[in-house]
Amino acid sequence: MTVLLLGVPIGQDSCFTREVKDLILFYEDVGKEEDGMSKKKVMTSTGVEVRHKPLGLRIWNNWGYYLMFLPVLIFVIIMHYWPMLGIRYSFYNYRPVGDKVWVGMENFVRMFAEDAFWTSFKNTLILSIVKLIITTLSSVVVSVFLNEMGNLMAKKTLQTIIYLPHFMSWAVVASIFSLILSPSSTGLVNGMLREWGVIGQQEYIYFLADKAWWQPIFYIINIWKETGWGTIIFLATLSGINPELYEAADIDGATRMQKIYYVTMPALSNTIMTVLILNLAKIMNMFESVFVLYNSAVYDVSDVVSTYIYRQTFVSKMPNYGYTTAVGLFKSFVGCILVLGCNWLSKKIRGRGII
Amino acid sequence: MKKKALSLLLASAMVASMAACGGGSTPAESSSSAPAESSAQASSEVAEEPYVLNEINITVDGTLTATVDNGQKEFNEQLNEAISERAGYDVVVNIEQLDHSTYGDAIGRKMVSNDLPDAMIMNASMFREYSTTGILWDMADAYDNAEFQSRITLPAINENLKDSQGHLYGFTPAYGNGCVTYVKQTWLDAVGMKIEDIKTFDDYYAMLKAFHEQDPDGNGTTGDTYGVVAAGFANTGEAPYINYMPEFWQGAYPYILQDENGTWYDGVQTDATKEALKRLRQGYVDQVIDPETLTATTKIAREKFFSNEQSGSSGAFTYWAGTWYQTLTDNMKKNEVEGDLVQLAPIQEIKDTWGGYLNREAPVWVIIDDGDGDDRKEQAVFSLLLDSMLDGDRIQTLWTYGAEDVHWSTKAEEFKTDEGTDKEKAYSYADGEFHLKQSPNDKNTLWKKNHIDNALVISPLTNGYASNSELAEAGNAFFSQNCVDAPVSPASATLTDEGANIVDAINVLISSVVVDGVDVDTAMDTYVSKAGATVEAALAELNAQ
Amino acid sequence: MAKEKVAYKKPKTKITAFAVINYIVFILIGLLILVPIWKVLVDSFNRVGVYQFRLWPHDFTVDGYLTIINTALLYKPFINSVVTTLLGTLLGLVLSTLGGYVLIQFEMPGRNFLAYFLLFTMIFSGGMIPEYLVMRQLGLVNNMWILVFKHGMNVYNLVLMRNFFEGVPSSLYEAAKIDGCSPMGIFFKIVLPLSKAALASIGLMFAVTVWNDYSTVQIYITDPNQVNFQYKLRSMIMAGDTPTTSYNVSQTTLYNAGIIAAILPFMVLYPFLQKYFVTGVNIGAVKE
Repeated sequence: MTVLLLGVPIGQDSCFTREVKDLILFYEDVGKEEDGMSKKKVMTSTGVEVRHKPLGLRIWNNWGYYLMFLPVLIFVIIMHYWPMLGIRYSFYNYRPVGDKVWVGMENFVRMFAEDAFWTSFKNTLILSIVKLIITTLSSVVVSVFLNEMGNLMAKKTLQTIIYLPHFMSWAVVASIFSLILSPSSTGLVNGMLREWGVIGQQEYIYFLADKAWWQPIFYIINIWKETGWGTIIFLATLSGINPELYEAADIDGATRMQKIYYVTMPALSNTIMTVLILNLAKIMNMFESVFVLYNSAVYDVSDVVSTYIYRQTFVSKMPNYGYTTAVGLFKSFVGCILVLGCNWLSKKIRGRGII
Repeated sequence: MKKKALSLLLASAMVASMAACGGGSTPAESSSSAPAESSAQASSEVAEEPYVLNEINITVDGTLTATVDNGQKEFNEQLNEAISERAGYDVVVNIEQLDHSTYGDAIGRKMVSNDLPDAMIMNASMFREYSTTGILWDMADAYDNAEFQSRITLPAINENLKDSQGHLYGFTPAYGNGCVTYVKQTWLDAVGMKIEDIKTFDDYYAMLKAFHEQDPDGNGTTGDTYGVVAAGFANTGEAPYINYMPEFWQGAYPYILQDENGTWYDGVQTDATKEALKRLRQGYVDQVIDPETLTATTKIAREKFFSNEQSGSSGAFTYWAGTWYQTLTDNMKKNEVEGDLVQLAPIQEIKDTWGGYLNREAPVWVIIDDGDGDDRKEQAVFSLLLDSMLDGDRIQTLWTYGAEDVHWSTKAEEFKTDEGTDKEKAYSYADGEFHLKQSPNDKNTLWKKNHIDNALVISPLTNGYASNSELAEAGNAFFSQNCVDAPVSPASATLTDEGANIVDAINVLISSVVVDGVDVDTAMDTYVSKAGATVEAALAELNAQ
Repeated sequence: MAKEKVAYKKPKTKITAFAVINYIVFILIGLLILVPIWKVLVDSFNRVGVYQFRLWPHDFTVDGYLTIINTALLYKPFINSVVTTLLGTLLGLVLSTLGGYVLIQFEMPGRNFLAYFLLFTMIFSGGMIPEYLVMRQLGLVNNMWILVFKHGMNVYNLVLMRNFFEGVPSSLYEAAKIDGCSPMGIFFKIVLPLSKAALASIGLMFAVTVWNDYSTVQIYITDPNQVNFQYKLRSMIMAGDTPTTSYNVSQTTLYNAGIIAAILPFMVLYPFLQKYFVTGVNIGAVKE
């Protein structure tokens, strides 16, 4: 569900918070050869000797650490690796009743022939990519202008407000918006639209059940929920821009907008790229935000792969776990390719991978 | 870099090796060996010893009205006591009550999780779909030899549940009941109409239109009220699918059903359904149908109907007959909504096609077959739980009216509802007089019934306890005069496996025509391309049976 | 954020048109964020639901909240939420501190392998159904402990914790080692006391995740006694699953009161804990 965002605000080393540097360290030293790491240890009193001890002894010396890691290992194996064994079900016809029957690639054949599957695949891509782009954009715009705010008190207050929706669950957010967008007499938005004469006294828009409206509303809710939180990372970058750049711009007589355009935006571009790449890697994971907002009237524009798997398994009377596992495997596979692709892209553009 | 690659390789090798060794010891294999083992055990034992079952787990929906907040604890205690007494040893019934609106989905999830109780309630559609799976126990023998057989007055309903081979996978203690259309009298008065004059669909539609356009709630704003509200344009969760909007559907039926010759056909791909969809679309455009009908659950629909805020409400509502007549009226009273409800006789178009309101196939109790080849446990569940449910006496009373001295009593007592308000009503009963008490969670309404409706039960109480609700009785009488049996739900393996996809396609069809205004024929083509093949396969199976 | 002190200070100039517009825009943004929340809050105290946006309830009642407090079907899920959040956070902190600490033992053989063993789970997963089938075997279906275990093991948070630990000057470890401290000893006596901010920050992440989880319950739990409050809230609002009670309170009021109850714990704590949340992000996290 989560993908790492490391090395947050890009190439301006001078302005990194210390923690950010620490984070990057991890990835660097995971990638390093063991020798490299030991070299680091040279700084310490014992490092050099440790390196020359026989492996058995080194393991023995560290038994305490292995013991401490044991609970983590057990949990990871049970919660993450054990389920991976289940991907073999994708080659079976496997139902709650009766024996598992080996069917080879049949589940995959059925999946690729199924319209509903392709609809969900298409929607997953559209919804997550558009969502990613517009929430990132809105975060950038808000943080740029928030950065221009002189009054520190006002800035802090605003930050507190715009971070707020991030802490609400999707269940709550969906509840709030289904009440506000309700076509009934208690729906705020329809009531306002009627009052302002945008729609007739007798009219209403059923935002969450109208195919034309569902996607825009989905994006708006995402903007409402995540824009504020998204600004944190851009504000961190902005606060690190070398003040001399602004001073130089002042001397050149640049206007506020010119400073934003020539100084602020270039500094942000790298961070924007980072955020986009990192989030691109997890676009297949979309589930809860859609699940709490969709309904049968808008499946065509809202059903995503995970919700499709959910319905095929848990709403169907006699589900074929084999089929839904196959769809899940395909999803994991695409997700995996996206992560590796983004990693490659990231190396290409930023000179550093994401995993 | 080499190390990095090596580590990745190692990690994946570890996964692979786990996959390899894990494969040998997976539960599937062990489960396939389990039946053999236990049946061997069973045959080696002498099966004559009486089977003792100390614990019965049941899963119920909202039709057990003694909910956790409404005296379920006392009901459960008294039930345990009565069943233990009947059995001669201690029996505990564990009740798991699931949210009513999502019951079908929840049962699906329980099925997936293999976390099944010993017995549970299923509605007719669910029952048909699960009856082909082999997880339900065939209770035909148990039913035929049941103790209540001597008292049964209405045997047909359970006989009809038997399939062509005589298997009986579900048992119903009562008739299914159906829905009638209720109309608010004050709204009729406000628009100057009389219920007797509503005879055809045009009359009905004119009434709904008046409800929308003539400010029947008298708040000065026109257009903030609707004609009718329902849980879905078609109730695709449970057969009969059309029973919340019978006037709009008329003779159409958007699912697989049998014609008069017993041949199965797809009721969706008919002109009748197309016409019905057009009527619904018109009603939606004219706003005589509350737009929230699309997403409303039964609970939301009825809350809107008797809401204390009548703006946004509707004048007509088609809902369950009998007890619900009383319950809806009580709720309106509680919410300070003026006036009574009147029942609308079936309109001419309904009479001409079906013959009346549809009496649904009853929800059934099913017993889960634990698959060990030994019937003694399932038989015990039947005797202790289902046979006793119609004992005519103590246990049947519990299921019919609830817990003694909590939901009902025969002790002398006096109480008042709405005490201190102008609606105050006093009740007084002599010693030995059976009467219903106030609802445990709401002292201002009388308790009505528990799981079984005494008016619909197939084998009456022998102790003569009868409810004292006039409206419920009037409602039952009205319904039985105006009802016909609903079409039988289909049962086939394809429908069990793929039924959910067909229902999805039907939902999309209905909402795309009614809400999005897609042309009926176009939408029908989409339906056929989505579900046509599956429907064909199901029909072939059904007609081969 | 301490770094603001050293950040560029804009020259004190007169109030420009830009600044005025900027303020206006931000007041509007703030309102857009707050209006839906305020509407819900006000409506939760209103006896009758209306569409209008009001600053204060016009027909004040606390019956919505009384219904929640006094109805078993509503307060039970709330208690479940509290319990699972506390336990999930505790387990999450235990596992992520242990794992994070071990992963900075550079001289430990196999450290790299273990790191990749963890990281692999973030790239690839068995998927919803195999996971479900495993949890079923573990008896975690229909059991609120699933919330504790599922969120307690979070590789991402473990890595964050590890990075915090790495910030602790290694000379401290070395000194303790020379003094003969065991790995556990160093962990408890040196690492944890120095990582209070990290514990708070990551603990909050765990707490928010567990408290806000809806989909796990939707997938794994059907028993009404085991569901959490987020699930109950949604089934109340979307399916109308509200218990009947003697409180004369409209459905809308009850829904709104439910929403407020669901967000209350974090809304109350949030202003005081904001810096920890932000720290969590600034060490490099973008979380879904």
